[in-house]
Amino acid sequence: MGVIVGLIGIIISLKRFKEGKTSPTVFVIWLLAWLSLIIISISPYTTSYLANIMGIGRGLDLILILAIIGAYYLLFRIYIMIENIEMELTRLVRELALREGDEE
Amino acid sequence: MNPKDITVIVPAYNEENTIIQVLGELKDRGYSVIVVDDGSTDSTSKLLQRFKDDDRVRVYRHIINRGLGAALKTGMEAALFRGPSYIVTFDADGQHDPDDIENVCKPLTEDKADVVIGQRNFNEMPLSRKIGNLIMNLITLIFYGVWFPDSQSGLRAFTYNAAMRINIKNKGYGVSSEIISEIKKNGLRLISVPIKTIYTPQTISKGTNLAIGIKILIEMIINILKKL
Repeated sequence: MGVIVGLIGIIISLKRFKEGKTSPTVFVIWLLAWLSLIIISISPYTTSYLANIMGIGRGLDLILILAIIGAYYLLFRIYIMIENIEMELTRLVRELALREGDEE
Repeated sequence: MNPKDITVIVPAYNEENTIIQVLGELKDRGYSVIVVDDGSTDSTSKLLQRFKDDDRVRVYRHIINRGLGAALKTGMEAALFRGPSYIVTFDADGQHDPDDIENVCKPLTEDKADVVIGQRNFNEMPLSRKIGNLIMNLITLIFYGVWFPDSQSGLRAFTYNAAMRINIKNKGYGVSSEIISEIKKNGLRLISVPIKTIYTPQTISKGTNLAIGIKILIEMIINILKKL
């Protein structure tokens, strides 16, 4: 089942990339994600194998840990985005203040 | 020292009780004043209307509150535009004595320093404020590598050239430490001069306290993480 979803995912991502809707970097990330899904669907033992190498309990644990780390990373990126917006906002407010205050 | 060569920047946020008096005293002494109303929600903005056509007290208003650092930066840009010899930052809450402006500018005119920051008497400070300030001094030391006896003091004097080289990025209370760091980065000469502090119930409620100190600390840590 996962193989089918994965293949469909690859096809859709490829299509979006060709249409210019996705950047190369994002496309590669999605490609890796779909391939991982396919590989894991075909042989779930890969996760256990990887997990054992890293010293983590089960394959599922590995996936969960990666998901959590990924989520925190996304949160961090969002925080930075908000900070940037705040800086832009301040620049805007300053520009308005200086224009209004300096008009003779 | 000609007061006309000195522009005083007064960042203000909700200071309806003191702003008119503070500005009046500065004006009386012949200084050029730039007020930055940082999105005040009380009657500060309305009170400042009276200076609309005053060419010695110029009012700039942030339509929304952006923080002390942002207000100072706006004030700096407005001040630098007119090319004064010296630029002074001054609190709007009546904590500073306008006569101290001469004291902080004197070393600049004698070319003994590029930046002078007024040092308050820590012994006259309420305990909570004292601890907050000491912690902020420590934070300035740890994160910026500079020890300054009163890093959070709002009474600062710059030569025009020094002010031009300072780049303020911080928009909140962390700006005080950042200014000291910028001074060091640009190799400017910094000295401290003792100044008077006037403590009223007003000034007690604002300013450095533990909560703000912790907030600044977290901001700094995040800044470091971002650079990784």
